[in-house]
Amino acid sequence: MYPSTAKDANRYQPNEVTKLSFDHSLVPPCQAACPLHMEIREYIDLVAQGRIMEALQVIRDGNPFPSICAYVCTHPCEDACRRSQVDKSVAIRALKRFAVEFGGDRRVRAEAETTHSDRVAIVGSGPAGMACAYYLRKLGYPVTVFEAHSGVGGMLRVGIPQYRLPREVLNTEVQRLMQMGVEIRTNTRVVSLDLLSDMGYKAIFITIGAHQSLRMGIEGEDGPGVIDGATFLREVNLGLKPSLGKKVAVVGGGNVAVDAARTALRLGAHKVSILYRRSRTEMPADPVEIEQALEEGIDIRFLVAPVKLNRRNGQLSISCIKMELGEPDATGRRQPMPIKGSEFNRQVDVLITAIGQAPQTPSDFRLRIGRGSTIHVDPVTLTTNRVGVFAGGDAVTGPATVTEALASGRLAAFRIDDYLQHRYPRVDKEMRAHLAGDLLPETIEMIRKIGRLEPPILPPESRMEDFKAVESVYDWSTAVNEARRCLRCGMGAEIVSQDKCATCLNCIRVCPYHVPRLDVNGAVQIPVEQCLACGICVAECPAKAIILRKPYDQRQVTDELRHILNSAEKSKFRPFIVGFCCQYGLFGTGTLANLWREAKAGIWIVPVLCVAKVEAEHMLYPFEMGAEGVFIAGCGEQCARENTALWISQRIGKVRKMLVQIGLEPERIRGFMLSSTNKDIAQDLDKFVEQITRLYLTSTIVEEVKS
Amino acid sequence: MIVAEQKPLEAIRQMIAPYHRVLILGCGTCMTVCDAGGEREVSFLHSSLRLIQAKSGEEPHIFSEYILKRQCDPEFIDLLVDKVSDVDAILSLGCGIGVQAIAERFTDMPVLPGVNTSFMGMAKEWGVWDERCAACGDCRLEDTAGICPITRCTKGILNGPCAGAKNGKCEASKDMECAWILIYKRLERLQQLEKMRRYYPPRNFRAVPRPRRLVKKVSVGAGESDG
Repeated sequence: MYPSTAKDANRYQPNEVTKLSFDHSLVPPCQAACPLHMEIREYIDLVAQGRIMEALQVIRDGNPFPSICAYVCTHPCEDACRRSQVDKSVAIRALKRFAVEFGGDRRVRAEAETTHSDRVAIVGSGPAGMACAYYLRKLGYPVTVFEAHSGVGGMLRVGIPQYRLPREVLNTEVQRLMQMGVEIRTNTRVVSLDLLSDMGYKAIFITIGAHQSLRMGIEGEDGPGVIDGATFLREVNLGLKPSLGKKVAVVGGGNVAVDAARTALRLGAHKVSILYRRSRTEMPADPVEIEQALEEGIDIRFLVAPVKLNRRNGQLSISCIKMELGEPDATGRRQPMPIKGSEFNRQVDVLITAIGQAPQTPSDFRLRIGRGSTIHVDPVTLTTNRVGVFAGGDAVTGPATVTEALASGRLAAFRIDDYLQHRYPRVDKEMRAHLAGDLLPETIEMIRKIGRLEPPILPPESRMEDFKAVESVYDWSTAVNEARRCLRCGMGAEIVSQDKCATCLNCIRVCPYHVPRLDVNGAVQIPVEQCLACGICVAECPAKAIILRKPYDQRQVTDELRHILNSAEKSKFRPFIVGFCCQYGLFGTGTLANLWREAKAGIWIVPVLCVAKVEAEHMLYPFEMGAEGVFIAGCGEQCARENTALWISQRIGKVRKMLVQIGLEPERIRGFMLSSTNKDIAQDLDKFVEQITRLYLTSTIVEEVKS
Repeated sequence: MIVAEQKPLEAIRQMIAPYHRVLILGCGTCMTVCDAGGEREVSFLHSSLRLIQAKSGEEPHIFSEYILKRQCDPEFIDLLVDKVSDVDAILSLGCGIGVQAIAERFTDMPVLPGVNTSFMGMAKEWGVWDERCAACGDCRLEDTAGICPITRCTKGILNGPCAGAKNGKCEASKDMECAWILIYKRLERLQQLEKMRRYYPPRNFRAVPRPRRLVKKVSVGAGESDG
């Protein structure tokens, strides 16, 4: 494991198994659910260690506009998160926002060089268009974005209210695109694709979104006092202040309906209600948004549908009917059925309709239109019926999420690149297997329950004054503690080979979660969907036959230790003490950083990803390299994993026994475990350092006397 | 399974003192299972030996490590041939059998025992092993309800319990169960208490010739056919 101090050691290294150098981890459910397939588990882990810049790096690798997603992503990852089987899912989106803001995403410069001459036109500057422009620029193409409105961003600018996505965030991203050399032409509506081809654009990406509101199809819909949600939001977002009166009703149950209602409230409407024909369970809007809308005093009427609009003396009133839920329809939602004789009238000043939107593709584009007015494309290549014309985003899918649009834009960029380079489109193949299967009840039972920590939000009273962002960002320690709840799915332990395994059953005996088990053939199996990667079995396997599926986790302690000892060798400070400190949790929030800063000269800290991964051999090695003392600082009772402190004491015991045999004092090694209360370990550490100093002085004197 | 315990570091040091280049040889079977000489223990011992020689400042040995899947089989030992050409001694962390098997194979090589082979036993729980069989070659467990008085009775008596049993414990140690009380209780559960009434004549230890050899294969003469 380590280089010998003896010269010319003819060492055999049984650990040099090629398997160690591969990432064997499975794709976790969060990543599989993300339209962009972001490496969520990785960046959450980095946040848990307080390594925010690196977390941001991982986020930026997978997402062109992370700060936008940090505000408005609908986080399908959280719905897939397996932590919800234990308590509640990890707050992934909020953690991303933390990483983006604390990591300094604003200051990241995006640069791109032009390496191709083929120009690409992008029609529409929404998330799909922006993402496509971003990736095409990265690939080296000159890109022009055409935008019909005065502001760039599509639905991000004209659809999403400012309290959900502050415009500075969007502006920063747009500026970054321009920095990369993307040409953006606002107030330019494209009317003909032929014209674009004539202008020399070799490929065109159509991403015009879905801005056309669907009609309710009821009497009186076309008249004063009625406005559709998309138009309403667009007007407000472009700086107009439509007069609303006092009473506003919104029809619909999606995010646009909720956005419109909350916007109306912020514009000064006194009484805002939402009419939705199904019940809350079926409501497609984000549950958090619904919750916040209710907090702000918006009255949501479930199981109500408008049937007619009446106008008398300039006063608008809606005839509504009550509904009940019938059989589930094709989408699985229960179909609302009107209750006869339940009609009632509702007086409003303005009615906002938000029952859905569809794309509106100019017929001059001569594109094949499919279901729901969407543009028909090949799902793999995103090509339309016209050569060199690609389409994506809401224009193809119908109203969808920002993240889906970004994914579509990214895909389009790669496919356009294939097209311009005359390559057969290379279909992405996911090489790594996906994690499948739920946690077993016996595993769940053993997992420490830690409640989900939400980022602070503004109280409802102060939200309504203006359009400031409702949600704030985590503070450092809350973020780290929230990130620590991640179960690290799919990166657990695996047996290198059944041949190496002595079937000693130690792993079965030491696992706090009862994960390893014997199969019918008597071989040990560690089901990856149950393992939580605590690493205890890895360090306790007498045959060293167990590894973690992430090579970094496997090598980390050894690598860090070697690195630290190399630097320590050059330093002359005495006594020389090596400390293994957990990088998660409290240590990740800064205790570790404080130890670094305040540490007396001569104390060298090896950051470890949970002390459970520190093996007895790791603890002994520093002594060989001349260390006078070794300590292990773990999270103890605050650890997100079980039994770590217990196994560390076992290993310390083993090392102490050996130290005595070697002729060293057993006090030279100690474990510091945090108690459940936030206790400062600095004092204990000081005492330990004092003790080691004394031992060091005594031994130096003894040696001198001897000589 | 064979259970052993690593020898004290000092004993190992004295053993290897005359040899410059030492191969620390682990065993991947029983010694791995009983945490005495598997890959982990080999490297821990290696590390400890390096540490102690660094502390004492004596002339350093050159250590190497290797793990055999089983030290008690000649085919596995063949894998060692090119590993031992440049060593002066082998420190085997195999059981006594392994040490001898290696010694037999490499006639000119000193082979040193790194562990004290203790007994044949079973794991009680993680890190605890109990002796269960003495390999007497004359198993009578059917009469003693599956509890061996030879190993589990301090005196190894065949007709117990003796007068030293007190509250089911042995007089030799308060923590030790009296094997014969255990036998009695289990026979009672099995409704075979009549077996307690039998008298077992003392065993003739001289009748067991050592070393023993077990031959399973049938000797087939040349030219003979199954006929």
